[in-house]
Amino acid sequence: MADLQDELHDPPEVHEPPVPRTGPYVPRGGPDPQPQPSAHAEPDPGAGRADPLERAYALLGRCPVADGYSGLPRALRELPWYDLQLGESAVDTDVPRLRRGRVGALFCALHLPEGLASDRALGATLEQLDLARAVVAAHPEGLRLARTAGEVLDARNCGRVAVVLGPATAAALDGSLAVLRVLHSLGLRVLTLAGTSWASEAGLTRFGEEAVREMNRLGVLADLSGASDATIGRALALSRTPVLATRSAARALRPHPDNLPDGLLAELGAAGGVCMVPLAAEQTGPALRDVADHLDHVRAVAGPGSVALSGTYDSGAAHPQGLADASGYPHLIAELLDRGWPEPDLALLTWGNVQRALRTADFTARAAQERKGP
Amino acid sequence: MTALSSLEAARELLAAFPVVDGHNDLPWALREQVRYDLDARDLAVSQAAHLHTDLPRLREGGVGAQFWSVYVRADLPDPVPATLEQIDCVRQLIDRYPADLRAALTAADMEAARAEGRIASLMGAEGGHSIANSLGTLRGLYALGVRYLTLTHNDNVDWADSATDEPRAGGLTAFGREVVREMNRLGMLVDLSHVAATTMRDALDASSAPVVFSHSSARAVCDHPRNIPDDVLERLPANGGVAMVTFVPKFVLQAAVEWTAAASENLRAHGFHDLATTPEAMKVHQAFQEAHPRPVPTAATVADHLDHMRAVAGIDHLGIGGDYDGTAFTPDGLNDVSGYPNLIAELLDRGWSKADLAKLTWQNAVRVLGAAEDVSRELRATRAPSHATIESLDG
Repeated sequence: MADLQDELHDPPEVHEPPVPRTGPYVPRGGPDPQPQPSAHAEPDPGAGRADPLERAYALLGRCPVADGYSGLPRALRELPWYDLQLGESAVDTDVPRLRRGRVGALFCALHLPEGLASDRALGATLEQLDLARAVVAAHPEGLRLARTAGEVLDARNCGRVAVVLGPATAAALDGSLAVLRVLHSLGLRVLTLAGTSWASEAGLTRFGEEAVREMNRLGVLADLSGASDATIGRALALSRTPVLATRSAARALRPHPDNLPDGLLAELGAAGGVCMVPLAAEQTGPALRDVADHLDHVRAVAGPGSVALSGTYDSGAAHPQGLADASGYPHLIAELLDRGWPEPDLALLTWGNVQRALRTADFTARAAQERKGP
Repeated sequence: MTALSSLEAARELLAAFPVVDGHNDLPWALREQVRYDLDARDLAVSQAAHLHTDLPRLREGGVGAQFWSVYVRADLPDPVPATLEQIDCVRQLIDRYPADLRAALTAADMEAARAEGRIASLMGAEGGHSIANSLGTLRGLYALGVRYLTLTHNDNVDWADSATDEPRAGGLTAFGREVVREMNRLGMLVDLSHVAATTMRDALDASSAPVVFSHSSARAVCDHPRNIPDDVLERLPANGGVAMVTFVPKFVLQAAVEWTAAASENLRAHGFHDLATTPEAMKVHQAFQEAHPRPVPTAATVADHLDHMRAVAGIDHLGIGGDYDGTAFTPDGLNDVSGYPNLIAELLDRGWSKADLAKLTWQNAVRVLGAAEDVSRELRATRAPSHATIESLDG
C-alpha cells in the first residue's frame, strides 16, 4: 500500500521550468545526452553505478508511471465476477500489478467496441463511464477517481492509483457542445478527435474548431492518436492547452497508421504536446528494446518534454515481450537508464509531462471560464 | 371582498410553504423556440409573449421548487444526446440566475432553497426512451442530477406500456421491473404520469420507494387515459407516494377532451405533430378555435380533481404539476406560472385548512424525495449496481 509514498520528495515537475509553448526545442546536454547528476538522485553517491533495475524502482518511487490508455472497464464488463484488489488473472491490470509496475495514474479509455453504430455512441459512452466509475468505486483502497492534476497528486499522496476518465470517442458528442459539457461534468478529461464528421480525414470543420475551443474552456484534453494529419495540424495550431497522442509511436521506425511521422512529432513537441508511446507490439515491435527505440526516437524528435507512456493494457493489443502486463514498467525504465537517459528526463517521461499537460489544461480552463461563457 | 381576502391568504400561505411543481417544460420550449439561445429569452424579465414561465411570474406564483422537465421527443433517432442537451440547458439557467434559482438534488437542498428564498431547481426526465434501454445510461442521468424518470411518454417503450399507445407489454416487462428496482437503489423517483394503468399497478408492486405522478389528475372526474384511476389512487397511502394534479385542459375537463380530439385531427390534417407548439402550428390551432369555441376549465375544475383525489388518496398524497410550457392551453385563472395563488384561494374557499394546503404545495413532495433517499441508502448497502440488460431479461 505504501509503496507509492515511501518517498516524500515533491515530484520533480514542480522544479522544472515549463516547456516553452513555441520555439525550437534545445535538448538539455546536447544531442547525445550523458547521464548527469540530478537534484533527485539517490543520496548515496554511488547510486549512479547501482543496478539499473534498482535505480528504476527508486526513480519510479518518486515519479510513478502515468499510463495514458487502459481498456480495463470494457474488459471487466465481460467478467461475471472480479477482484482487482487481490489480483485478477483474467485481465492485464489489477491493483497488485499496478503497484508492482509503479503505476500512479491510469487513463481509462471510454472508446467503444469496433463496429458500433456511431448514432448510438453517446449511450454506449455513458455506459462505459458508468462502468469505469463503478470499478473505481468498488476498489476504494486501490483506485481513486481524479478530475484534475491536483486530484491526481492527492490520490498519489494517499497511495491510490489516480484514474482519469478518457479518452472517449468524438462521435459521442453527437455534434453537440452541450453533450461535451455534460460529459465533462461526469469526469471526462480526454476526447479523441477522430471518427466523426467534424474531425475526419479532411480535418476539423468549423464545428470541430469550436469543439476544440470549448474543450480548452472546460479543460478537456484533445487526443490526436488516430486523427488525420489535417486534424492534428489544425488542433495543434488551435488548442491553447497541450494536446495528447494517447497511443502513438514513431512512424519513422514502424509504419503503423496511428504512429506519428517525424514532422508531426516535431510540431507536437514545439506545441508542448505529449506523445504517449504505446506498449503495443503492432505499433512498436515485439521486444522491449523496440519500445525503447521508439522512446529514444520520440525523445530526440519531439523532445524529452513531450514523451510519455501508454500501456494499452486490456484494450485488445498484443504487448511486447517482458511488458505483458502493468507490472513490466520498471524493466522498461531500467533499459532506458542503460541507454543513458538522464533521470530528470525519465521523471518527465513517466509522470512529469502528463502532469504538466493536465495542470496546464486546468489553468487554461480556469482562466477561460472567467472570460467566456458556454 | 371575500375573493380578495382568500387570495391574500393564499399568497401569505405560499410565502411560507411555496409550490413544488412537478413538471415544467421550459427547457423544451427554449430548445424549440430559440435553440437554447438564453439571451433571446431572458427569464429575468417578462417573457409572457413567448412562454408560460419566467422568473418574475414564478415569484408571483409562489413557486419554491420546480422539477424542470428534460423531456425529449421519443421519435428522435437517438434521444440520449438531446436529453443531455436539455440537462445542459437547465444547468445554464441555474448558472445564469443564481439569485433566483438553486440547484437541488435532495430534499435537504429543497429546504435550504426555501430558507434562502430561492427556487429549488430539480430535473425530471420524461419518458423511458431517454435511457435507451440501458441501466448504465440511467445511472448516468442520475449522476447528472435527474431525480425522476417518467417511465414512458406518449408512446410505449420496449419495457413499459404508455397510457396513450396500444397495450403491448401489459404493464412492465421483467426489464421494466429491473429499471424500477435500479431507480429505487439510486434514489431516483419513479414517475407514473403518462403510463398505462397496468404499468402504474406493476410499478407500485415493484417499487420499494414512494412513487410520484408528476402531472396527472383524476380519471373519475375526467375520463382521460392520462389521468389516474381510483384503484391506483387508493394505493398511494400504502406506498407513500404523491399524485401531482395537472392543469392541462384536455385532461381535466371532459368537454375539452372531446374538443381536443377534434383539434388534433385538424392539426394532423395540416401536417403537424399533435403536440406541436410552433407559431405555424398555433396559427392552424387558432383558426380551428375560431370555428369551434374551446371549452375552458378554471381553477375550480382543477379543485374538483383535488377534492376527489383527496377523498380517495388522502391529503398526504397530493401535489401540483402544472405542465406549463408543455401544453398549448391553460385554464382560466391558471394561465401561467403566476396563477397558483388562484388555485390555493379556491381551495381555501372550499374549506381546506392551511395545514392541508401546506402539505399540498410543499410538504408532501419534499417528503417523497426524502423517502426515496432513505430507501436508496438502505438498498445501496446491500445491492450492487444492476448490470441487467433488456436482452437478458426480456429475450
